[in-house]
Amino acid sequence: MPSICFYFQVHQPFRIRDYSFFDIGNSHVYEDDKKNEEVLNKVADKCYIKTNQKMLELIHRHQGKFKISYSLSGTAIEQFEKYRPDVLQSFIDLANTGCVEFLSETYSHSLSFIYSKNEFKRQVEKHAQVIKKYFNQVPKVFRNTELIYNNELASFIEGMGYKGIICEGVDRLLNGRTPNFLYQPVGAKNVKLLLKNYTLSDDIAFRFSDKGWKEFPLTADKFKNWVHDVAGNGETVNLFMDYETFGEHQWESTGIFNFLDQLPTEILKHPDFDFKTPSEVIDSYPAREVYDAHDFTSWADTERDLSAWLSNSMQKESIQRIYSIEKDILACGDPSLLKVWERLQTSDHYYYMCTKFWNDGDVHKYFSPFDSPYDAYMYFMNVFSDLECSLKELRLSKEKADKKSKKIDQLADILAFGKEVKIKPVKKNKLILN
Amino acid sequence: MKNQLPKVLMLGWEFPPIINGGLGVACHDLSCAMSELANITMVVPKSSPDFKVKNMNLIGINNIDPNSYADSFDNSFNNKLPFKLHSVPSDLNPYHSEAINSHNNPHGYRDSSVMGGSEMRESFNIDNLYGGDVINKVFQYAEITSNLAAKIDFDVIHAHDWMTMLAGIKIKQQTGKPLVMHIHSLEVDRSGVDSTGWVYDLEKKGMEYADLLMPVSNFTANNIHQYYGIKKNKMSVIHNGSIVVEPFKSKRTFKEKTVLFVGRLTRQKGPERFLDIASKVLEKNPDVRFVMAGVGDYFKSMLEQSSYKHIGNRFHMTGFLNQEKLRYLFSVSDVYCMPSVSEPFGLSAVEAAQFGIPCVISKQSGVAEVLSGALKFNHWDVNKAASDILNLLSDSVLRKKVVEDASHNLQNITWNNSAQKIMNAYSSNNFI
Repeated sequence: MPSICFYFQVHQPFRIRDYSFFDIGNSHVYEDDKKNEEVLNKVADKCYIKTNQKMLELIHRHQGKFKISYSLSGTAIEQFEKYRPDVLQSFIDLANTGCVEFLSETYSHSLSFIYSKNEFKRQVEKHAQVIKKYFNQVPKVFRNTELIYNNELASFIEGMGYKGIICEGVDRLLNGRTPNFLYQPVGAKNVKLLLKNYTLSDDIAFRFSDKGWKEFPLTADKFKNWVHDVAGNGETVNLFMDYETFGEHQWESTGIFNFLDQLPTEILKHPDFDFKTPSEVIDSYPAREVYDAHDFTSWADTERDLSAWLSNSMQKESIQRIYSIEKDILACGDPSLLKVWERLQTSDHYYYMCTKFWNDGDVHKYFSPFDSPYDAYMYFMNVFSDLECSLKELRLSKEKADKKSKKIDQLADILAFGKEVKIKPVKKNKLILN
Repeated sequence: MKNQLPKVLMLGWEFPPIINGGLGVACHDLSCAMSELANITMVVPKSSPDFKVKNMNLIGINNIDPNSYADSFDNSFNNKLPFKLHSVPSDLNPYHSEAINSHNNPHGYRDSSVMGGSEMRESFNIDNLYGGDVINKVFQYAEITSNLAAKIDFDVIHAHDWMTMLAGIKIKQQTGKPLVMHIHSLEVDRSGVDSTGWVYDLEKKGMEYADLLMPVSNFTANNIHQYYGIKKNKMSVIHNGSIVVEPFKSKRTFKEKTVLFVGRLTRQKGPERFLDIASKVLEKNPDVRFVMAGVGDYFKSMLEQSSYKHIGNRFHMTGFLNQEKLRYLFSVSDVYCMPSVSEPFGLSAVEAAQFGIPCVISKQSGVAEVLSGALKFNHWDVNKAASDILNLLSDSVLRKKVVEDASHNLQNITWNNSAQKIMNAYSSNNFI
């Protein structure tokens, strides 16, 4: 009995503003609040509100037979709190149906696993708390930023107590096998992998409105047939995509909402098919094969690797700088600096610096708030420099305060007549009293 | 006659409000100083009432009625030149050396001699002096100014750089008046010593044809001699001056010491050298910020290289800055670094000195000849430059001495001095 497993990614970054060299030391306002609010409002109106409404309707219509899952980044949730509580409420309404699973991810949609396991763990735990707070669920299935995955991640996540991981079904690792089964990672016995069926997922996410595509227009009826073809050679069809596919990447006028409206009915026409959340899939089926991902894979670009975020020197320099101050940030004890640092880890910042497809005006450009990857890098590094300055100042004033309190302690010792005090040399006392 | 000031016809290209680099500033400030000593008529592509100069007759081609010269347009001008020049499709900017893209020219091969005056006027895109078909602009400028010259009385023609050389030649042919060429910058500075091409050819022929050359430095005089084969006895070096600015200090918004580079990011200015120097300094002292102000075709590469060298958090690129921002930068900087590969003069170093910033400058620059209060290095000598910067940042005695010496030098680096030298050269060559 094959299952359809829907997972939607919901993420919004805190985009930084055109923060110039002259702002360093002058302004600690890094983010483009206006733009962030604008984008969120746009996407909320075009996608989140409408699609959530549709999903709720479908869940009711099919009386619990239609199930879906989401991963909401911490930064997206923060933006909902700040700008659109109605969106957050509509996700809570979905959670209350019992047909929606919320997955685990890093709080700020970061690349932390690659640079700092400590920070990764901190962010995953922080994210789980927020999910628990709003949706009353303890995530059991993990998805990493942009489905970045390798064997090491599997064993680390196993160690954190998760039972499953969402990742890309990369052709070169599947090596001719189908993504439509659960897989076993190398080096982790207690987690199962759900691999994205990228062909069927991208038919909806990327090709739905492509008039040059030979299957255009895509109907729910047609799509159902492709899904039903899996019968006999698969147990789970994993349809993973950005949630913004509905209404934002594929506008309402393309008919995407009608497609979505019809899809569950069509799929359920085949009595052997059902919808399951990732946790249910993991509980229902065994892992059939081993999936060995020695190197990092992801769901981005045609390479399906890390090159979207980490291929050029600007990306590497900026991210290495960010993780180089981890200790100082955690030690400084200033929650506002920690928050800034956390948000600067968001993968989108590095995505904007990608020069890979720049000349083709590719999707990187579509998403970037900047004119060029060079601007993205410059503004980011200026922000980083200011953060570094703040850290430095904090450290210096702390040292000064420490010194002062040390002096006071010494003075107290000297003045504590009742206690036995070692009389210090006169010269030193003088210095202290000064 | 004796009481009357000598009359100079000056041919300029960049002039306020159009300034791309040091040339526009130099032409403006020099002509201001000279207007005290001579009657100057200056012809430039564009003039604006906002930039009037006292005692000077400033003519902007943008203000001339095209009909006034269209009739007298001389089709056979090209044939009368002492050498051949052909117009080729080009979209280049010799002072910026931005990427050249000849595909952008939809007109293809075009010869200026087939155009009439009004058509010329239309195609003279005044705001873009180096864009489009620049050779046509040079031809058009020559045509228009030579027509104007026929109606003006003057003793000497004074042309600035290659863009106005053709005009200078034409006017000299027409009038027999002595031709002086003021050399602010050469193709070999901009494109390297093995430069070829029509700009180089034009410079060479023009300088050969001129009666007297006025390079802005001995460095440039040597280049003219070495790469253009012109004898030094035909040259009179006129160092640039500088207008007095009121320096001020601002409070820096960060703690680290600051080393500044100002200039176009082109090969000539040695931006990559600045990066190497920064890298070297930061190895010894991580508490320094390097700031690169300017734009140019090395911009992206500089960002990439600075990130590659892992100094992205200490190497800042500001992009284009207006004068106010630039002066602010001067007011917060600790060292000025000018690593130019070939710098005819280098006014920015003088400006830095005016702000009391010690300069570390390449010996391959004209300003090195007049600014003894500066530390100097051969442009390839990264180690020397880096150690100079480190010393200036840590040794307050050295720093004070350099700044003091520079302030003495500044007293002599004036446009009045330059103007007086020019007048002396006119008279010793019997032009006036």
